[in-house]
Amino acid sequence: MPEFERETNRLTFKLVYYGPAQGGKTTNLMQLHELAGAQMKGELMTLETQHDRTLFFDLLPLGFRTASGLTIRLRLFTVPGQVAHDGTRKAVLSRADGVVFVADSQRTQATNNGESFQNLSENVARVGLDFERLPLVVQFNKRDLRDILSVEDIHERYAGAPWPLLFASAIDGRGVRETFTELLHGVWRRYADDLGLVTEHGLDEASFVTAAGGEAT
Amino acid sequence: MTDMVGFDRDFSLGELLSTRDADELCRTLTALLGTPVAMLDERCNAFGSAAHVVGGCRTPLVLELEPVGFLEADCPQDSLSGAARTVRWGLLSRARLRMVSDLHLEAVRADYAKLQQQNEALKASEAKYRELAATLDAKVKEQIKIIDERQLQLYQAERLASIGQLAAGVAHEINNPLGFISSNLSAAERYLQSLEDLRSVVPSTDWQARDLDFLFKDFVELLKDSRVGIDRIARIVKDLKGFSSVDQPEEQVVDLNAQLETLLTVLVGQKPPSITLSTDFAPLPPLLCLPGHLNQAFLNILQNALLAVGDGGIVTVHTRTDGTSISVEVTDTGPGIPDEIRARIFDPFFTTRGVGSGTGLGLTVARDIILAHSGTVTVICPPHGGTRVTVNLPV
Repeated sequence: MPEFERETNRLTFKLVYYGPAQGGKTTNLMQLHELAGAQMKGELMTLETQHDRTLFFDLLPLGFRTASGLTIRLRLFTVPGQVAHDGTRKAVLSRADGVVFVADSQRTQATNNGESFQNLSENVARVGLDFERLPLVVQFNKRDLRDILSVEDIHERYAGAPWPLLFASAIDGRGVRETFTELLHGVWRRYADDLGLVTEHGLDEASFVTAAGGEAT
Repeated sequence: MTDMVGFDRDFSLGELLSTRDADELCRTLTALLGTPVAMLDERCNAFGSAAHVVGGCRTPLVLELEPVGFLEADCPQDSLSGAARTVRWGLLSRARLRMVSDLHLEAVRADYAKLQQQNEALKASEAKYRELAATLDAKVKEQIKIIDERQLQLYQAERLASIGQLAAGVAHEINNPLGFISSNLSAAERYLQSLEDLRSVVPSTDWQARDLDFLFKDFVELLKDSRVGIDRIARIVKDLKGFSSVDQPEEQVVDLNAQLETLLTVLVGQKPPSITLSTDFAPLPPLLCLPGHLNQAFLNILQNALLAVGDGGIVTVHTRTDGTSISVEVTDTGPGIPDEIRARIFDPFFTTRGVGSGTGLGLTVARDIILAHSGTVTVICPPHGGTRVTVNLPV
């Protein structure tokens, strides 16, 4: 559940980019930092890396103020994708309000995607979240590469899955904002009523998504 | 874990900077800018000992989106912003360090909890294997004993089967000549009676000269002896047939007490009056068995007991059950069985009776029938004398 601080009239959503190692989670945040048209946009904080691979997490803060005076913050985190860092991954996932699963479209990565997704569902349960109700978007990244699964193949494989499927090439920014937008919609649908965003703060879904940096297409 | 503050919380100025550090920063900035510099927290209260600069301008210290504090000084905005950037850089480094160390702590705790769980599981499985190793030797020995017993039983069964086949063949071959010898004997007896009529025809001098009186008398005796011999052969053949179980009747559910009762009525007529035959029956559950065969088995055991006791001897039949099996005990007050013989009493054709009076198959047949009913038979000679034969049959 998003954190609401009455004292400062501030609402914070924690959104996590999850997925196999070197799938482009950090790249997603870097591009989003450039592209997102949020009212407030902080710097992308990249913690320690090793050979360009995330060891802890990256953090991109976005936010906006509503006419009612409420500050809404969205803190976007990435997890370390490497299998060995499961403890860190789990800690970053704790208290998440929404997840983007960044899958690698390359044929050779199908197994890694599967294992990472399995790991996500297990860790979601371990940190006490409800996988059924957690807003989740699946992004197939690296569409610019050769030898990738076709869109049809992916749709076929995920035919039974309830999550929105998006295709991206994070390296040149394609699909990054669309993915984030889709997650914002999911987050809105999941929490808007509980938080009284419409009734108490006069927000609607479209303005929430736009102000938070998404793009209404 | 639940009490722990997450690594991803917002840090206040006080968490990142001590007031002493803040004072030192303000002193340094004051010297650099040549005008008093104050640090304020996110609510614009003075942080540290540097007092508000009245009339000064403020610049926020922003780590993510919103200020965690402010710098205040009466100087050009540009200079103050430059100073704020430097301070922010320091604050950000501290914030990153705090986040990483808290995250690291969270991860380590989670990993440690997981390791502890795995450790517990390992300990449990180690204990299991330790226990297994300790009892392995005993278990192997136990299994070996069972296998040895089974092998012995199998050997015994095969030996009995081949003897049984032989016996069945012999019995069959003997039965035919036995039949015609028996009927020939009957004919011979009749003919002998007819020949006696010759007495009135043959002159008595000739009769006496040839000692025909003795001849006829002895002839009758000879035929009678032959009849006894034939009957004995017939009995042996019958025992052999029982031994080889040539004719398999149907299985039936019976009350074993009733069966024994019938059997005893038959025996009462045959036994010498000086021997007491008593019973001690407990109610038994119904038993699925071959009643004819079981009767034969108990008959053989009882006959042995009756033969073992002398005048005034007592033979007792007890029946008991524990719900899963029935036990029938036949005790006698006879002399018991010598140790060197006891091991052989079930062997086919082993007998202690004189040639002609026993076939040596009685107990063999009894044992085979009981084994065929998945039962056991044990023979014990208690120190105080007598013999106790116990038959156990599963219900």
